[in-house]
Amino acid sequence: MKHLTIALCLLFVALQSAMAEPTYRAFVTNENDGTLSVLDIRSGKVETTVSVGKRPRGIGFTPDRSQVYVAIGEEDAIAVVDIRTLQVVKKLPAGSDPETFAVHPNGHIYLSNEDANKASVLDPVAGKVVAEIPVGIEPEGVSIAPDGTLAMVTSESTHMVHVVTIPDHKVIANILVGARPREVAFSTDGRWAYVTSEIGGQVSKLDVAANKVVQAVPVTVPNAKPKGILLSRDQHTLYVSTGGGNAIAVLDADTLATQTVIPVGKRVWGLALSRDGTRLYACNGLDGTVSVIDTTTHQVSATIQVGSRPWGLVIDD
Amino acid sequence: MARAFYGRAWLSTMLVLALWGTAGAVEEVQLVYVGSTTTSVWRGIEQGLREANILGGFTGYTYTVEPVSPEAVLGAQRDKLPLAIVAATDAATLQRLSAKFAATGVAVLNLLADDDALRQACLPNLLHVVPSAHMKADAVAQWQKRKPAAQVQARAWHEDFTKFAAGELNNRFRKAQGVLMDDDAWAGWAVLKLLSEAVARAQSTEPARILAYLRHEMAFDGQKGVPQTFRDTGQLRQHLLLVEAGKLVGEAPVPGVVDSNDLDSLGLTSCKR
Repeated sequence: MKHLTIALCLLFVALQSAMAEPTYRAFVTNENDGTLSVLDIRSGKVETTVSVGKRPRGIGFTPDRSQVYVAIGEEDAIAVVDIRTLQVVKKLPAGSDPETFAVHPNGHIYLSNEDANKASVLDPVAGKVVAEIPVGIEPEGVSIAPDGTLAMVTSESTHMVHVVTIPDHKVIANILVGARPREVAFSTDGRWAYVTSEIGGQVSKLDVAANKVVQAVPVTVPNAKPKGILLSRDQHTLYVSTGGGNAIAVLDADTLATQTVIPVGKRVWGLALSRDGTRLYACNGLDGTVSVIDTTTHQVSATIQVGSRPWGLVIDD
Repeated sequence: MARAFYGRAWLSTMLVLALWGTAGAVEEVQLVYVGSTTTSVWRGIEQGLREANILGGFTGYTYTVEPVSPEAVLGAQRDKLPLAIVAATDAATLQRLSAKFAATGVAVLNLLADDDALRQACLPNLLHVVPSAHMKADAVAQWQKRKPAAQVQARAWHEDFTKFAAGELNNRFRKAQGVLMDDDAWAGWAVLKLLSEAVARAQSTEPARILAYLRHEMAFDGQKGVPQTFRDTGQLRQHLLLVEAGKLVGEAPVPGVVDSNDLDSLGLTSCKR
Protein backbone atom coordinates (compact mmCIF):
# COMPACT_ATOMS: atom_id res chain seq x y z
CA MET A 1 0.00 0.00 0.00
CA LYS A 2 2.81 2.32 0.93
CA HIS A 3 4.58 1.53 -2.30
CA LEU A 4 1.43 2.16 -4.30
CA THR A 5 1.03 5.54 -2.65
CA ILE A 6 4.63 6.44 -3.42
CA ALA A 7 4.24 5.26 -6.99
CA LEU A 8 1.10 7.35 -7.43
CA CYS A 9 2.81 10.37 -5.93
CA LEU A 10 5.77 9.94 -8.26
CA LEU A 11 3.48 9.55 -11.25
CA PHE A 12 1.59 12.67 -10.28
CA VAL A 13 4.79 14.68 -9.84
CA ALA A 14 6.17 13.35 -13.12
CA LEU A 15 3.03 14.29 -15.01
CA GLN A 16 2.92 17.68 -13.37
CA SER A 17 6.51 18.43 -14.31
CA ALA A 18 6.08 17.06 -17.83
CA MET A 19 3.30 19.55 -18.33
CA ALA A 20 5.05 22.40 -16.59
CA GLU A 21 6.50 25.17 -18.65
CA PRO A 22 10.25 25.63 -17.97
CA THR A 23 11.19 28.61 -15.81
CA TYR A 24 14.03 29.59 -18.15
CA ARG A 25 16.12 30.19 -15.07
CA ALA A 26 19.72 29.31 -14.36
CA PHE A 27 20.72 28.71 -10.74
CA VAL A 28 24.29 29.57 -9.76
CA THR A 29 25.89 28.62 -6.43
CA ASN A 30 28.04 31.39 -4.95
CA GLU A 31 30.49 29.62 -2.64
CA ASN A 32 31.61 32.69 -0.69
CA ASP A 33 28.22 34.40 -0.38
CA GLY A 34 26.10 31.50 0.76
CA THR A 35 23.66 32.33 -2.03
CA LEU A 36 22.13 31.21 -5.29
CA SER A 37 22.02 33.72 -8.13
CA VAL A 38 18.86 33.17 -10.15
CA LEU A 39 19.37 34.19 -13.78
CA ASP A 40 16.66 34.79 -16.33
CA ILE A 41 18.37 33.16 -19.28
CA ARG A 42 16.16 34.87 -21.83
CA SER A 43 17.05 38.39 -20.68
CA GLY A 44 20.53 37.41 -19.46
CA LYS A 45 19.89 39.27 -16.20
CA VAL A 46 20.05 38.29 -12.54
CA GLU A 47 16.44 37.98 -11.43
CA THR A 48 17.14 37.61 -7.74
CA THR A 49 19.54 36.18 -5.18
CA VAL A 50 18.50 33.55 -2.65
CA SER A 51 20.31 32.79 0.63
CA VAL A 52 20.86 29.04 0.92
CA GLY A 53 23.52 28.46 3.60
CA LYS A 54 27.23 28.47 4.21
CA ARG A 55 29.50 27.34 1.37
CA PRO A 56 27.11 26.18 -1.34
CA ARG A 57 28.89 24.27 -4.12
CA GLY A 58 27.32 21.30 -5.94
CA ILE A 59 23.87 21.82 -7.48
CA GLY A 60 21.44 19.53 -9.31
CA PHE A 61 17.79 19.01 -10.16
CA THR A 62 15.37 16.63 -8.52
CA PRO A 63 14.27 13.95 -11.03
CA ASP A 64 11.02 15.87 -11.69
CA ARG A 65 12.99 19.12 -12.11
CA SER A 66 10.64 21.02 -9.81
CA GLN A 67 13.37 21.68 -7.23
CA VAL A 68 17.13 22.03 -7.05
CA TYR A 69 19.37 20.45 -4.47
CA VAL A 70 22.32 22.49 -3.27
CA ALA A 71 25.21 21.00 -1.26
CA ILE A 72 25.83 23.24 1.74
CA GLY A 73 29.33 22.19 2.81
CA GLU A 74 29.62 24.01 6.11
CA GLU A 75 26.15 23.04 7.28
CA ASP A 76 26.54 19.33 6.44
CA ALA A 77 23.30 19.61 4.51
CA ILE A 78 21.59 19.54 1.13
CA ALA A 79 19.25 22.50 0.72
CA VAL A 80 16.10 21.92 -1.32
CA VAL A 81 14.97 24.97 -3.30
CA ASP A 82 11.70 25.23 -5.22
CA ILE A 83 12.60 26.56 -8.66
CA ARG A 84 9.32 28.47 -9.04
CA THR A 85 8.75 29.98 -5.60
CA LEU A 86 12.52 30.20 -4.94
CA GLN A 87 11.88 29.19 -1.33
CA VAL A 88 14.34 26.99 0.53
CA VAL A 89 11.84 24.23 1.25
CA LYS A 90 14.03 22.26 3.64
CA LYS A 91 17.54 21.15 4.43
CA LEU A 92 18.42 17.47 4.45
CA PRO A 93 21.21 16.13 6.67
CA ALA A 94 23.94 14.98 4.28
CA GLY A 95 26.83 13.82 6.43
CA SER A 96 30.08 15.67 6.83
CA ASP A 97 31.06 18.42 4.37
CA PRO A 98 29.02 17.55 1.27
CA GLU A 99 30.66 19.00 -1.84
CA THR A 100 29.06 17.64 -4.97
CA PHE A 101 26.48 15.02 -5.88
CA ALA A 102 24.49 13.34 -8.59
CA VAL A 103 20.79 12.53 -8.44
CA HIS A 104 19.80 8.98 -9.39
CA PRO A 105 16.61 8.55 -11.46
CA ASN A 106 15.19 6.75 -8.39
CA GLY A 107 15.55 10.01 -6.44
CA HIS A 108 18.51 9.06 -4.26
CA ILE A 109 21.28 11.61 -3.97
CA TYR A 110 24.81 10.24 -4.33
CA LEU A 111 27.15 12.73 -2.70
CA SER A 112 30.79 13.12 -1.77
CA ASN A 113 31.74 13.93 1.82
CA GLU A 114 34.96 15.76 1.17
CA ASP A 115 36.54 15.58 4.62
CA ALA A 116 35.36 12.05 5.46
CA ASN A 117 36.77 9.88 2.64
CA LYS A 118 33.35 8.56 1.75
CA ALA A 119 30.38 8.90 -0.51
CA SER A 120 26.88 8.88 0.99
CA VAL A 121 23.55 7.90 -0.46
CA LEU A 122 20.84 10.23 0.78
CA ASP A 123 17.18 9.28 0.48
CA PRO A 124 15.46 12.67 0.30
CA VAL A 125 12.04 11.21 1.07
CA ALA A 126 13.21 9.57 4.29
CA GLY A 127 15.49 12.57 4.87
CA LYS A 128 18.41 10.40 5.83
CA VAL A 129 21.59 8.80 4.63
CA VAL A 130 20.83 5.20 3.69
CA ALA A 131 24.33 4.04 2.66
CA GLU A 132 27.94 5.09 3.04
CA ILE A 133 30.69 3.99 0.69
CA PRO A 134 34.37 4.29 1.67
CA VAL A 135 36.43 5.91 -1.09
CA GLY A 136 39.75 7.78 -1.26
CA ILE A 137 40.82 11.10 0.22
CA GLU A 138 38.96 14.31 -0.69
CA PRO A 139 36.15 12.72 -2.66
CA GLU A 140 34.76 15.17 -5.15
CA GLY A 141 33.01 14.51 -8.44
CA VAL A 142 30.04 12.13 -8.52
CA SER A 143 28.36 10.90 -11.69
CA ILE A 144 25.73 8.27 -12.31
CA ALA A 145 25.76 6.13 -15.44
CA PRO A 146 22.80 6.84 -17.75
CA ASP A 147 21.27 3.40 -17.02
CA GLY A 148 21.52 4.01 -13.26
CA THR A 149 23.58 0.89 -12.50
CA LEU A 150 26.86 2.60 -11.58
CA ALA A 151 28.16 5.66 -9.82
CA MET A 152 31.66 7.02 -10.28
CA VAL A 153 33.24 9.02 -7.48
CA THR A 154 36.60 10.79 -7.80
CA SER A 155 39.03 11.18 -4.91
CA GLU A 156 41.20 14.20 -5.43
CA SER A 157 44.05 13.34 -3.10
CA THR A 158 44.10 9.60 -3.89
CA HIS A 159 43.91 10.31 -7.66
CA MET A 160 41.27 7.69 -8.32
CA VAL A 161 37.89 7.09 -9.85
CA HIS A 162 35.94 4.68 -7.63
CA VAL A 163 33.32 2.66 -9.45
CA VAL A 164 30.29 1.84 -7.28
CA THR A 165 27.47 -0.50 -8.27
CA ILE A 166 23.84 0.52 -7.74
CA PRO A 167 21.79 -0.58 -5.84
CA ASP A 168 24.15 -2.82 -3.84
CA HIS A 169 26.84 -0.13 -3.42
CA LYS A 170 29.89 -2.31 -3.94
CA VAL A 171 33.13 -0.68 -5.03
CA ILE A 172 34.08 -2.82 -8.00
CA ALA A 173 37.06 -0.85 -9.30
CA ASN A 174 39.44 1.87 -8.20
CA ILE A 175 40.99 3.41 -11.28
CA LEU A 176 44.17 5.48 -10.94
CA VAL A 177 44.05 8.59 -13.17
CA GLY A 178 46.03 11.84 -13.45
CA ALA A 179 46.60 13.86 -10.28
CA ARG A 180 43.58 15.46 -8.61
CA PRO A 181 40.59 14.10 -10.55
CA ARG A 182 37.64 16.46 -10.25
CA GLU A 183 34.67 15.49 -12.41
CA VAL A 184 33.30 12.63 -14.46
CA ALA A 185 30.95 12.84 -17.47
CA PHE A 186 29.34 9.76 -18.99
CA SER A 187 28.48 9.46 -22.66
CA THR A 188 24.72 9.02 -23.08
CA ASP A 189 25.21 5.43 -24.27
CA GLY A 190 27.08 4.72 -21.02
CA ARG A 191 30.07 3.33 -22.84
CA TRP A 192 32.62 6.00 -21.97
CA ALA A 193 33.35 8.16 -18.98
CA TYR A 194 35.52 11.25 -19.23
CA VAL A 195 37.49 12.48 -16.21
CA THR A 196 39.26 15.80 -15.62
CA SER A 197 42.52 15.84 -13.66
CA GLU A 198 43.20 19.28 -12.26
CA ILE A 199 46.88 18.93 -11.35
CA GLY A 200 47.60 16.29 -13.99
CA GLY A 201 46.30 18.85 -16.51
CA GLN A 202 44.59 16.18 -18.56
CA VAL A 203 41.38 14.46 -19.52
CA SER A 204 41.16 10.66 -19.29
CA LYS A 205 38.71 8.51 -21.22
CA LEU A 206 37.53 5.40 -19.39
CA ASP A 207 36.04 2.31 -20.96
CA VAL A 208 33.16 1.82 -18.55
CA ALA A 209 32.64 -1.91 -19.17
CA ALA A 210 36.36 -2.65 -18.75
CA ASN A 211 36.97 -0.17 -15.91
CA LYS A 212 40.09 0.97 -17.71
CA VAL A 213 41.71 4.18 -18.86
CA VAL A 214 41.94 3.95 -22.63
CA GLN A 215 43.38 7.41 -23.23
CA ALA A 216 44.78 10.30 -21.20
CA VAL A 217 45.58 13.49 -23.07
CA PRO A 218 46.85 16.85 -21.78
CA VAL A 219 44.51 19.80 -22.26
CA THR A 220 46.56 22.23 -24.34
CA VAL A 221 45.67 25.50 -22.65
CA PRO A 222 48.42 27.39 -20.76
CA ASN A 223 48.06 26.81 -16.98
CA ALA A 224 45.18 24.41 -17.59
CA LYS A 225 43.67 22.97 -14.43
CA PRO A 226 40.81 20.96 -15.90
CA LYS A 227 37.75 20.90 -13.67
CA GLY A 228 34.27 20.88 -15.25
CA ILE A 229 33.45 18.57 -18.14
CA LEU A 230 30.39 18.16 -20.37
CA LEU A 231 29.58 16.43 -23.62
CA SER A 232 27.84 18.24 -26.45
CA ARG A 233 24.33 17.04 -27.21
CA ASP A 234 25.61 15.13 -30.26
CA GLN A 235 28.32 13.49 -28.05
CA HIS A 236 31.14 14.44 -30.42
CA THR A 237 32.58 17.32 -28.43
CA LEU A 238 33.78 17.75 -24.86
CA TYR A 239 33.71 21.10 -23.08
CA VAL A 240 36.29 21.35 -20.35
CA SER A 241 36.66 24.26 -17.94
CA THR A 242 40.34 24.86 -17.18
CA GLY A 243 40.27 26.73 -13.86
CA GLY A 244 43.28 29.06 -13.78
CA GLY A 245 43.65 28.50 -17.53
CA ASN A 246 40.80 31.05 -17.68
CA ALA A 247 39.37 29.36 -20.77
CA ILE A 248 37.06 26.62 -21.98
CA ALA A 249 38.83 23.92 -23.96
CA VAL A 250 36.77 22.34 -26.73
CA LEU A 251 37.94 18.74 -27.22
CA ASP A 252 37.24 16.08 -29.80
CA ALA A 253 35.48 13.42 -27.70
CA ASP A 254 37.05 10.68 -29.79
CA THR A 255 40.72 11.73 -29.75
CA LEU A 256 40.62 14.13 -26.76
CA ALA A 257 42.61 16.59 -28.87
CA THR A 258 42.03 20.25 -27.97
CA GLN A 259 40.32 21.82 -31.00
CA THR A 260 39.44 25.30 -29.84
CA VAL A 261 40.18 27.43 -26.81
CA ILE A 262 37.58 29.95 -25.67
CA PRO A 263 38.92 32.59 -23.27
CA VAL A 264 36.44 33.32 -20.45
CA GLY A 265 36.89 34.75 -16.93
CA LYS A 266 39.19 33.90 -14.05
CA ARG A 267 39.19 30.40 -12.49
CA VAL A 268 36.44 28.92 -14.57
CA TRP A 269 34.80 25.84 -12.99
CA GLY A 270 31.12 24.92 -13.23
CA LEU A 271 29.54 24.30 -16.63
CA ALA A 272 26.00 23.79 -17.93
CA LEU A 273 24.54 23.40 -21.39
CA SER A 274 21.20 24.69 -22.63
CA ARG A 275 18.70 21.97 -23.52
CA ASP A 276 19.24 22.51 -27.26
CA GLY A 277 23.02 22.53 -26.77
CA THR A 278 23.54 25.91 -28.45
CA ARG A 279 24.66 27.78 -25.34
CA LEU A 280 27.26 26.83 -22.77
CA TYR A 281 27.32 28.58 -19.39
CA ALA A 282 30.49 28.77 -17.32
CA CYS A 283 31.16 30.04 -13.78
CA ASN A 284 34.21 32.30 -13.44
CA GLY A 285 34.98 31.95 -9.72
CA LEU A 286 37.48 34.78 -9.23
CA ASP A 287 35.59 37.22 -11.45
CA GLY A 288 32.19 36.55 -9.92
CA THR A 289 30.68 36.14 -13.36
CA VAL A 290 28.98 33.63 -15.63
CA SER A 291 30.05 33.50 -19.28
CA VAL A 292 27.51 32.55 -21.92
CA ILE A 293 29.13 30.89 -24.92
CA ASP A 294 27.61 30.29 -28.34
CA THR A 295 28.58 26.69 -29.09
CA THR A 296 28.32 27.22 -32.85
CA THR A 297 30.68 30.18 -33.10
CA HIS A 298 32.66 29.42 -29.90
CA GLN A 299 32.32 33.09 -28.94
CA VAL A 300 31.32 34.50 -25.57
CA SER A 301 27.98 36.19 -26.19
CA ALA A 302 27.43 37.59 -22.70
CA THR A 303 29.11 37.90 -19.30
CA ILE A 304 26.77 38.16 -16.33
CA GLN A 305 27.83 39.43 -12.90
CA VAL A 306 26.68 37.07 -10.13
CA GLY A 307 27.82 36.58 -6.49
CA SER A 308 31.20 35.90 -4.90
CA ARG A 309 33.02 32.76 -6.10
CA PRO A 310 30.39 31.23 -8.37
CA TRP A 311 31.04 27.46 -8.29
CA GLY A 312 28.43 25.59 -10.31
CA LEU A 313 25.12 26.00 -12.06
CA VAL A 314 22.11 24.27 -13.61
CA ILE A 315 19.63 25.49 -16.21
CA ASP A 316 15.87 24.92 -16.39
CA ASP A 317 14.97 25.47 -20.03
CA MET B 1 40.76 14.10 22.03
CA ALA B 2 42.86 11.01 22.68
CA ARG B 3 39.82 8.76 22.56
CA ALA B 4 38.63 10.38 19.35
CA PHE B 5 42.06 9.92 17.86
CA TYR B 6 42.25 6.23 18.70
CA GLY B 7 38.69 5.80 17.52
CA ARG B 8 39.69 7.22 14.18
CA ALA B 9 42.87 5.17 14.05
CA TRP B 10 40.85 2.03 14.76
CA LEU B 11 38.34 2.91 12.06
CA SER B 12 41.13 3.53 9.57
CA THR B 13 42.63 0.17 10.42
CA MET B 14 39.28 -1.53 9.91
CA LEU B 15 38.84 0.33 6.64
CA VAL B 16 42.29 -0.75 5.45
CA LEU B 17 41.52 -4.35 6.47
CA ALA B 18 38.18 -4.25 4.67
CA LEU B 19 39.83 -2.90 1.55
CA TRP B 20 42.52 -5.61 1.67
CA GLY B 21 39.75 -8.07 1.29
CA THR B 22 38.75 -6.58 -2.03
CA ALA B 23 42.23 -5.89 -3.36
CA GLY B 24 43.51 -9.47 -3.33
CA ALA B 25 47.20 -10.00 -2.59
CA VAL B 26 48.76 -7.30 -0.47
CA GLU B 27 52.43 -6.46 -0.61
CA GLU B 28 54.14 -5.01 2.45
CA VAL B 29 56.30 -2.01 1.71
CA GLN B 30 58.77 -0.85 4.30
CA LEU B 31 60.33 2.58 4.67
CA VAL B 32 63.14 3.47 7.03
CA TYR B 33 63.00 6.76 8.89
CA VAL B 34 66.08 8.43 10.33
CA GLY B 35 65.15 11.19 12.74
CA SER B 36 63.29 12.03 15.89
CA THR B 37 59.79 10.70 16.51
CA THR B 38 58.77 13.57 18.79
CA THR B 39 58.87 16.20 16.06
CA SER B 40 56.58 17.87 13.59
CA VAL B 41 58.27 15.94 10.75
CA TRP B 42 57.17 12.70 12.42
CA ARG B 43 53.58 13.92 12.82
CA GLY B 44 53.60 14.70 9.12
CA ILE B 45 54.91 11.21 8.40
CA GLU B 46 52.12 9.71 10.50
CA GLN B 47 49.53 11.67 8.51
CA GLY B 48 51.16 10.76 5.20
CA LEU B 49 51.36 7.11 6.24
CA ARG B 50 47.64 7.02 6.95
CA GLU B 51 46.96 8.48 3.51
CA ALA B 52 49.49 6.20 1.81
CA ASN B 53 47.67 3.24 3.31
CA ILE B 54 44.34 4.46 1.95
CA LEU B 55 45.83 4.54 -1.57
CA GLY B 56 47.67 1.28 -0.81
CA GLY B 57 44.39 -0.29 0.30
CA PHE B 58 43.02 0.28 -3.20
CA THR B 59 46.19 -0.76 -5.03
CA GLY B 60 47.37 -3.73 -2.96
CA TYR B 61 50.15 -2.30 -0.80
CA THR B 62 50.51 -1.72 2.89
CA TYR B 63 53.11 0.73 4.14
CA THR B 64 55.10 0.80 7.35
CA VAL B 65 57.70 3.30 8.52
CA GLU B 66 60.41 1.99 10.82
CA PRO B 67 62.25 4.64 12.85
CA VAL B 68 65.93 3.65 12.99
CA SER B 69 69.00 5.44 14.38
CA PRO B 70 71.53 6.65 11.81
CA GLU B 71 74.15 4.34 13.31
CA ALA B 72 71.91 1.32 12.87
CA VAL B 73 71.14 2.17 9.25
CA LEU B 74 74.74 2.96 8.40
CA GLY B 75 76.20 0.04 10.33
CA ALA B 76 74.11 -3.04 9.79
CA GLN B 77 73.47 -4.94 6.59
CA ARG B 78 69.70 -5.28 6.10
CA ASP B 79 68.12 -8.51 4.93
CA LYS B 80 65.76 -6.67 2.66
CA LEU B 81 66.27 -3.25 1.13
CA PRO B 82 63.71 -0.67 2.23
CA LEU B 83 61.71 1.05 -0.51
CA ALA B 84 63.43 4.29 0.48
CA ILE B 85 65.07 6.07 3.40
CA VAL B 86 63.29 9.17 4.65
CA ALA B 87 65.48 11.35 6.79
CA ALA B 88 65.14 14.35 9.05
CA THR B 89 68.80 14.77 9.86
CA ASP B 90 71.88 16.91 9.14
CA ALA B 91 73.78 17.25 5.85
CA ALA B 92 76.71 15.06 6.89
CA THR B 93 74.44 12.15 7.86
CA LEU B 94 72.45 12.56 4.65
CA GLN B 95 75.66 12.28 2.62
CA ARG B 96 76.67 9.12 4.46
CA LEU B 97 73.20 7.59 3.99
CA SER B 98 73.29 8.46 0.30
CA ALA B 99 76.74 6.88 -0.10
CA LYS B 100 75.71 3.74 1.74
CA PHE B 101 72.71 3.12 -0.52
CA ALA B 102 74.02 4.60 -3.80
CA ALA B 103 74.98 1.25 -5.31
CA THR B 104 71.56 -0.29 -4.66
CA GLY B 105 69.66 2.74 -5.94
CA VAL B 106 67.65 3.24 -2.75
CA ALA B 107 66.40 6.82 -2.61
CA VAL B 108 67.25 8.94 0.42
CA LEU B 109 64.70 11.72 0.86
CA ASN B 110 65.77 14.79 2.81
CA LEU B 111 63.04 16.26 5.02
CA LEU B 112 64.98 18.81 7.03
CA ALA B 113 68.36 20.07 5.73
CA ASP B 114 68.30 23.25 3.64
CA ASP B 115 72.02 23.26 2.71
CA ASP B 116 72.63 24.41 -0.86
CA ALA B 117 75.86 22.42 -1.14
CA LEU B 118 73.84 19.21 -0.72
CA ARG B 119 71.77 20.13 -3.78
CA GLN B 120 74.78 21.17 -5.83
CA ALA B 121 76.50 17.88 -5.01
CA CYS B 122 73.81 16.23 -7.14
CA LEU B 123 74.05 12.84 -5.50
CA PRO B 124 72.09 10.43 -7.71
CA ASN B 125 69.96 8.93 -4.94
CA LEU B 126 69.51 12.00 -2.71
CA LEU B 127 66.23 13.90 -3.16
CA HIS B 128 65.21 17.02 -1.29
CA VAL B 129 61.55 17.47 -0.37
CA VAL B 130 62.30 20.61 1.64
CA PRO B 131 63.27 23.86 -0.06
CA SER B 132 66.91 24.94 0.01
CA ALA B 133 68.20 28.06 1.78
CA HIS B 134 68.78 29.60 -1.65
CA MET B 135 65.18 29.02 -2.71
CA LYS B 136 63.95 30.77 0.41
CA ALA B 137 66.38 33.67 -0.06
CA ASP B 138 65.25 34.10 -3.67
CA ALA B 139 61.60 34.11 -2.61
CA VAL B 140 62.28 36.86 -0.07
CA ALA B 141 64.31 38.87 -2.62
CA GLN B 142 61.50 38.63 -5.17
CA TRP B 143 58.98 39.84 -2.62
CA GLN B 144 61.23 42.72 -1.56
CA LYS B 145 61.46 43.89 -5.17
CA ARG B 146 57.77 44.54 -4.87
CA LYS B 147 57.81 45.67 -1.25
CA PRO B 148 61.31 46.82 -0.33
CA ALA B 149 60.61 47.37 3.36
CA ALA B 150 58.88 44.02 3.95
CA GLN B 151 60.23 41.78 6.70
CA VAL B 152 59.11 38.49 5.24
CA GLN B 153 60.10 34.92 5.76
CA ALA B 154 59.81 32.25 3.06
CA ARG B 155 58.16 29.02 4.11
CA ALA B 156 57.25 25.71 2.50
CA TRP B 157 53.85 25.68 4.21
CA HIS B 158 51.54 27.69 6.43
CA GLU B 159 48.49 26.80 8.48
CA ASP B 160 46.48 29.62 6.86
CA PHE B 161 47.17 28.43 3.31
CA THR B 162 43.80 27.45 1.81
CA LYS B 163 44.14 27.62 -1.98
CA PHE B 164 44.55 24.49 -4.10
CA ALA B 165 42.98 22.27 -1.43
CA ALA B 166 45.72 23.31 1.00
CA GLY B 167 42.83 24.16 3.33
CA GLU B 168 41.56 20.58 3.14
CA LEU B 169 45.01 19.24 4.00
CA ASN B 170 45.41 21.71 6.87
CA ASN B 171 41.99 20.71 8.21
CA ARG B 172 42.52 16.98 8.12
CA PHE B 173 46.01 17.26 9.60
CA ARG B 174 44.72 19.40 12.47
CA LYS B 175 41.83 17.02 13.14
CA ALA B 176 44.07 13.95 13.17
CA GLN B 177 47.11 15.37 14.93
CA GLY B 178 45.61 18.07 17.13
CA VAL B 179 48.22 20.61 15.98
CA LEU B 180 48.64 22.92 12.99
CA MET B 181 50.57 21.80 9.93
CA ASP B 182 53.92 23.55 9.53
CA ASP B 183 56.78 23.25 7.01
CA ASP B 184 58.25 20.15 8.65
CA ALA B 185 54.89 18.37 8.90
CA TRP B 186 54.19 19.15 5.25
CA ALA B 187 57.53 17.57 4.25
CA GLY B 188 56.77 14.46 6.31
CA TRP B 189 53.31 14.17 4.79
CA ALA B 190 54.59 14.85 1.27
CA VAL B 191 57.27 12.17 1.36
CA LEU B 192 54.79 9.38 2.09
CA LYS B 193 52.45 10.68 -0.61
CA LEU B 194 55.32 10.88 -3.12
CA LEU B 195 56.48 7.34 -2.43
CA SER B 196 53.07 5.68 -2.27
CA GLU B 197 51.96 7.43 -5.45
CA ALA B 198 55.18 6.45 -7.24
CA VAL B 199 54.57 2.81 -6.25
CA ALA B 200 50.96 2.95 -7.48
CA ARG B 201 51.85 4.60 -10.78
CA ALA B 202 55.05 2.66 -11.54
CA GLN B 203 53.43 -0.54 -10.24
CA SER B 204 56.74 -1.45 -8.69
CA THR B 205 58.30 -1.69 -5.24
CA GLU B 206 61.81 -2.05 -6.60
CA PRO B 207 63.79 0.78 -4.91
CA ALA B 208 65.81 1.79 -7.97
CA ARG B 209 62.69 1.89 -10.13
CA ILE B 210 60.97 4.12 -7.59
CA LEU B 211 64.01 6.43 -7.48
CA ALA B 212 63.94 6.67 -11.28
CA TYR B 213 60.18 7.26 -11.28
CA LEU B 214 60.48 10.07 -8.74
CA ARG B 215 63.36 11.72 -10.62
CA HIS B 216 61.98 11.53 -14.13
CA GLU B 217 58.25 10.84 -14.20
CA MET B 218 56.60 12.09 -11.04
CA ALA B 219 54.22 15.04 -11.30
CA PHE B 220 53.32 15.39 -7.66
CA ASP B 221 50.23 17.02 -6.19
CA GLY B 222 51.61 18.49 -2.98
CA GLN B 223 48.37 20.47 -2.60
CA LYS B 224 50.29 23.58 -3.61
CA GLY B 225 48.50 24.09 -6.91
CA VAL B 226 50.88 22.85 -9.63
CA PRO B 227 52.43 19.49 -10.45
CA GLN B 228 55.76 19.26 -8.64
CA THR B 229 58.80 17.64 -10.21
CA PHE B 230 62.41 17.05 -9.15
CA ARG B 231 65.32 19.04 -10.55
CA ASP B 232 68.52 17.30 -11.68
CA THR B 233 69.96 18.52 -8.37
CA GLY B 234 67.40 16.34 -6.59
CA GLN B 235 65.42 19.36 -5.36
CA LEU B 236 61.61 19.19 -5.43
CA ARG B 237 60.30 22.21 -7.32
CA GLN B 238 57.71 24.09 -5.31
CA HIS B 239 56.00 27.35 -4.59
CA LEU B 240 57.01 29.04 -1.37
CA LEU B 241 54.80 31.04 0.94
CA LEU B 242 55.74 34.47 2.22
CA VAL B 243 54.93 35.13 5.81
CA GLU B 244 55.13 38.44 7.63
CA ALA B 245 54.65 38.60 11.41
CA GLY B 246 53.09 35.13 11.32
CA LYS B 247 50.58 36.07 8.60
CA LEU B 248 50.52 34.64 5.12
CA VAL B 249 51.06 37.57 2.74
CA GLY B 250 52.01 36.06 -0.61
CA GLU B 251 53.46 33.33 -2.74
CA ALA B 252 56.68 32.93 -4.69
CA PRO B 253 57.56 32.94 -7.57
CA VAL B 254 56.20 36.46 -7.05
CA PRO B 255 53.86 37.52 -9.88
CA GLY B 256 54.89 40.77 -11.52
CA VAL B 257 58.51 40.22 -10.53
CA VAL B 258 58.99 36.88 -12.30
CA ASP B 259 56.68 34.53 -14.18
CA SER B 260 54.55 33.07 -11.40
CA ASN B 261 54.92 29.60 -12.96
CA ASP B 262 58.71 29.75 -13.13
CA LEU B 263 59.55 27.57 -10.16
CA ASP B 264 63.19 27.57 -11.28
CA SER B 265 63.36 31.24 -10.39
CA LEU B 266 63.80 29.92 -6.85
CA GLY B 267 67.17 28.44 -5.91
CA LEU B 268 70.00 26.84 -7.86
CA THR B 269 69.15 24.59 -10.74
CA SER B 270 72.53 23.24 -11.77
CA CYS B 271 75.13 20.95 -10.25
CA LYS B 272 78.56 22.09 -9.11
CA ARG B 273 81.12 21.09 -11.71
